[in-house]
Amino acid sequence: MSLMTLALVFTIQSHSYHYNAFVHSTGNITGSFLSTRNHIYDYLNLADENERLRKENALLRMKSLSTGDTLLGDETTFLFSEDVPYRVFPARVIKNDYSKRDNFLTLDIGSEQGVKEDMGVITTDGIVGIIDISNKRFSRVISILNSEISLNAQIKGSNIIGSLTWDGKDPYIMSLVDVPRLAQVTKGDTIITGRQSTTFPPDVLIGTIKSAQLVENGSRYQIEVTLFNDMTDLGTAYVIKNRDKKALTIIDTLTVRNDE
Amino acid sequence: MLRFIGLLLLQIFVMDQVYFLGYICPLVYMLFIVLYPVENNRWSFLLIAFMLGVIVDTFQDTGGAHAAAAVTLAFFRPVLLKLVYGQGYLTKNLKIIKSPIDRFLLLLALAVLLHHLVLFLLVYFNLSQILQVLQMTLYTGISTLFVAVVLFVLFGLRGRS
Repeated sequence: MSLMTLALVFTIQSHSYHYNAFVHSTGNITGSFLSTRNHIYDYLNLADENERLRKENALLRMKSLSTGDTLLGDETTFLFSEDVPYRVFPARVIKNDYSKRDNFLTLDIGSEQGVKEDMGVITTDGIVGIIDISNKRFSRVISILNSEISLNAQIKGSNIIGSLTWDGKDPYIMSLVDVPRLAQVTKGDTIITGRQSTTFPPDVLIGTIKSAQLVENGSRYQIEVTLFNDMTDLGTAYVIKNRDKKALTIIDTLTVRNDE
Repeated sequence: MLRFIGLLLLQIFVMDQVYFLGYICPLVYMLFIVLYPVENNRWSFLLIAFMLGVIVDTFQDTGGAHAAAAVTLAFFRPVLLKLVYGQGYLTKNLKIIKSPIDRFLLLLALAVLLHHLVLFLLVYFNLSQILQVLQMTLYTGISTLFVAVVLFVLFGLRGRS
């Protein structure tokens, strides 16, 4: 009976955000098992993964050619500089879930590589989630396919913001809620991360508008968003560290205090 | 012990990667609890079921849902045994894996139903999604049963002859 209670306590803890440091997949043993498994399965889609990385390389090369190569200084100082607004750490996804109500991913980098809690995780195609637990060598990510998550997002080319949530059904579809009634919503419009987010850089791609309907007596839109990212097939991901996060958070809390 | 490690490795390395139709992963590890020897120390049985569940939990990031489901199944297994094999199963020196196939399948189906229902109730943790819970229980249950029967055919028959 006491075992049952213990198991239930674990379960209940796991359903509350940031309060489940007991049973998770970032331990050294669990992590290395997952890493081994990933090594094995990696061989099955090496070609696809290489193709994806090549495409991304080409895209980035085009971008850097168009902005000029003097913008960020030369490569060596750039890599070690603390002075860029966003630092990006490459990582491999060694565990990915998308079939549960609350999904988590595991990455093969951790606090030794500079990963901390609440950093954003993206791929070439779009956002993936937010770091939840970072252990020494592995870290866990709350997937955007999780009931606990609600992200600030906006419609590209406008200042209309909403929050992005997942209803737990289709891993390719999310919903953008709390969009005001008077907003211009067109099918096919692109959704990007909002400027209010301190976790993600602005203008990271999320998806396109699939359909929209008015809810709450027609006062707000609920928009279905088709994700760019295929959350069921993730290989390489990037962890993003925002240099200004602390400063921004402090400013935010200051204004709240003044309001009271 | 061999079965414990074998089923656990099979679960983590193969079954968790199956994603049949996009969301169905057979949960074969629970076979261990179903097939555990009938004459046992109740406490060590419950404890080992709990350990098994916790290990699966760490790999799937489900908090304690697998542990809870495994302990529930271990706790209620005597009831299921009584239901399937009749009152006197303890005196008959029962070996579950060598029992008649229809009895065995009935036991397995009941065990799968109980285990998966508890598991998905805790995974979703939301009564308003009860339909989804039942749907997942049904589909995953069928897949678990299927894999269990395949395993039984592969390994179990040798034990019978």
